Amino acid sequence: MVNENLVKDVVKEPYKYGFVTDIETEKISKGLNEDIVRLISQKKEEPKYLLDFRLKAFKKWQKMKEPDWAGLGYKKIDYQDIIYYSAPKQKEKISSLDEVDPKLLETFDKLGIPLTEQKKLTNVAVDAVFDSVSIATTFREELAEHGVIFCSISEAVKNHSDLIEKYLGTVVPASDNYFAALNSAVFSDGSFVFIPKGVTCPMDLSSYFRINSGDSGQFERTLIIAEESSSVSYLEGCTAPMFDTNTLHAAVVELIALDDASIKYSTVQNWYAGDEEGIGGIFNFVTKRGKCLGKRSKISWSQVETGSAITWKYPSCLLLGEESVGEFYSVALTNNLQQADTGTKMIHIGPKTKSTIVSKGISAGNSINSYRGLVKMGTKATGARNYSQCDSMLIGDQASANTFPYIKSQQPNSEIEHEASTCRISEDQLFYLQSRGIEFEEAVSMMVSGFCRDVFNQLPMEFAAEADKLLALKLEGSVG
Amino acid sequence: MEIIEKIKTNKSIDNLTEIQKFCLDKLESTPLPNPKSEQWRLANKSKLSNFLDYSVNEKNPKFDTPFPNTSQSNIRLVIGDNCLINVIEENYSIKQLSEDKLVKYIKEQISCFNQNENWSELLNLSLNSRKNTLGLKINGSEIPPIEIFSHASSNSLNAKTLVIFLEKNCDIDLLQVNLGKDNSSLSQSTFFCLEENSSVNHGVVSYGENKSNLLNSLNVIQQKNSEYNLGSLHFKFNYARFEIRIKQSEGNAKTNIKGMQITKKDEQISTYTKIDFNGPNGFLDQINKSLADDKSHAIFEGSIIVPKIAQKTDASQLSRNLLLSNLAQIDTKPQLEIIADDVKCKHGATISQLNEEELFYMRTRGITLPEASKLQLSSYFQEITSFIPVSKDRWDLLDKLLNEN
Repeated sequence: MVNENLVKDVVKEPYKYGFVTDIETEKISKGLNEDIVRLISQKKEEPKYLLDFRLKAFKKWQKMKEPDWAGLGYKKIDYQDIIYYSAPKQKEKISSLDEVDPKLLETFDKLGIPLTEQKKLTNVAVDAVFDSVSIATTFREELAEHGVIFCSISEAVKNHSDLIEKYLGTVVPASDNYFAALNSAVFSDGSFVFIPKGVTCPMDLSSYFRINSGDSGQFERTLIIAEESSSVSYLEGCTAPMFDTNTLHAAVVELIALDDASIKYSTVQNWYAGDEEGIGGIFNFVTKRGKCLGKRSKISWSQVETGSAITWKYPSCLLLGEESVGEFYSVALTNNLQQADTGTKMIHIGPKTKSTIVSKGISAGNSINSYRGLVKMGTKATGARNYSQCDSMLIGDQASANTFPYIKSQQPNSEIEHEASTCRISEDQLFYLQSRGIEFEEAVSMMVSGFCRDVFNQLPMEFAAEADKLLALKLEGSVG
Repeated sequence: MEIIEKIKTNKSIDNLTEIQKFCLDKLESTPLPNPKSEQWRLANKSKLSNFLDYSVNEKNPKFDTPFPNTSQSNIRLVIGDNCLINVIEENYSIKQLSEDKLVKYIKEQISCFNQNENWSELLNLSLNSRKNTLGLKINGSEIPPIEIFSHASSNSLNAKTLVIFLEKNCDIDLLQVNLGKDNSSLSQSTFFCLEENSSVNHGVVSYGENKSNLLNSLNVIQQKNSEYNLGSLHFKFNYARFEIRIKQSEGNAKTNIKGMQITKKDEQISTYTKIDFNGPNGFLDQINKSLADDKSHAIFEGSIIVPKIAQKTDASQLSRNLLLSNLAQIDTKPQLEIIADDVKCKHGATISQLNEEELFYMRTRGITLPEASKLQLSSYFQEITSFIPVSKDRWDLLDKLLNEN
């Protein structure tokens, strides 16, 4: 039989990214009003259209109500008690990495993010975002040779204003939902990627988001545009220090794929999840959506969600182009008092569009892990197909696993298949592995890894290894 | 509020009963269900208000059965008509529930009602005085099959209530038939209590006519070692809603559900099920089929709730849907809410049209397209119709369905 104490010991594995960097930061005063929105825009020296975009979003947000349909239990957020702009103080313009505050470099070094020259060998271009601003983007020259634009969104506003004006808010409109409206009003930074026609991005692009201040929210915005016949793989990672207050993270990600383009967006989310008592942790309310505008375009989301006190996240695909493809591969792990309500929306609009959903939820401790997804076949989606698979694994008898798939079809010539199952780590399998000399914890880890294999196979190499380690770390022995 | 006034001022209702008054009070705070709630968000508002448009009628017209007459061995009851029954045989007895017990039981049920979720029952109990309520207490074995009819009359809103207590070790076949007339609304609520070791094969066939509406709710409480098998069929209603709530109060019970709804023209038929496992070793096997044609809309929402106490639950739910027209639509939402860890739960959903390869195969063998489609539909329907008790021998439901479609 499984040792209960062992379970508790291993579940207590500390959060190793919980340190705080002691660095001088520039913060604006707490609270949110029109002046704050104007101030953020002014600090970033934004053109008028962007200020108008922010103000319009802010007006809409004021009229909206915080959604409660997910039934997540959390303390009401006081939006006037949050700092909406916080940036590490450094020289205005940075020409090379040497000018970045060494403390910041050290922070990212501790997190294992390759910003420094010697680590650039890993061949992944990184945009590092610290609190509200992007502090460095690597490999820019090399990427520019191929015509690829990879920079922070603030730089893009200055240097590629036409693209921002054309695409910003076209996939996730400012009024889309409460948190998207909030983000549209106060977003501080984020990444911008533009892959020109016919270019296959020579390396993986990566953004790393770090929240350092305890009282400021993070509102980043990512925009990725893949022109005709181009392709890109984008990776996103997140961590935050341990605070006993809750920090709000409300991001918006917009992807646009034109004819024959392909975007692969992978996330390993490991925000601080709070302690065993549920104190502290990040509230992660994110809107991610991709638009397959072109024919045969493809958007693939893969995510490993292990952190955050609350996760509210539904990376979605609007399949407009004929024969376009949407994919969603997700592993969500919750422990202690974490709550995750995650899933996807696949909206089939164009003919012969295809989508695949594979979602694996693992709930341990007293956590709640829900899959909530929508598959919709519009009237013009002839020959469209969807396949969804949602599996849940329960660890311990206090955890909860829910599945809420919404399925809607208005097109007879389309097919939707959905299946879901729930299981637990079988004692027979554990016994089998242990009887062959495999340590208990390793056996559990193997089984969890096997359970998630369909998703891990879709992750880029570096992430797959990290994800596997992350799950093993969070779960070893937590079988009840 | 209109509906409440309508009930209070209705001349055909002599005196409001205690239950009516109580339910009316509750309805006053929620005269209409919340259209934003999960249970009601897809309900067609104009059709629902059309349901309430007809005048409340407590009187029943003469009932002429559209189905073959029952043979000697069957017991046939019509709610509101020949409701009095008191059969005591050597092996079994079917008795009228005493007034006290009936009122007590209904009151108990109401006390756990959620005003939004149980709106259909609250409406039913508000509309219905004792005249159209049938309460039965059944025990014994070798009980002949029972058929119970509820019907609505044209241009009126009728409410019928059925309460059945199945005592220990009892085993019955029961067919409930809800008949809608042209331009009518029928509110039917059924309360079923299965005691230990009892078993029931329950069939619900709801068959409407042009512009008929139905709100049908079914509440089942299963005690341990009981078995509840439900086969249901809803078709030809302008608007119909079938709500099934089953609670395995102590676990260790078996539930099998096979339901089907067929929509044509601009009809809307929906099925909502909620299965609550309140003890260990529960079993559920559920399949719901929909077929939507023309401009119609078919809806299925099923939820399975497995709390911590319900270890070793084995539950499966499948929603299979056929969408036959470009203007029709289907919504389906099977849900699992699980806290217990040692359980086997799964669900599945599919939406498609008739299989083209099968059609092609049959056509290459000289079968015409309409015949081939009919054959495919026949196999689609068969799984459900064969599960409905009593009906299969005497009423050819399959034939009826195929000729309708």
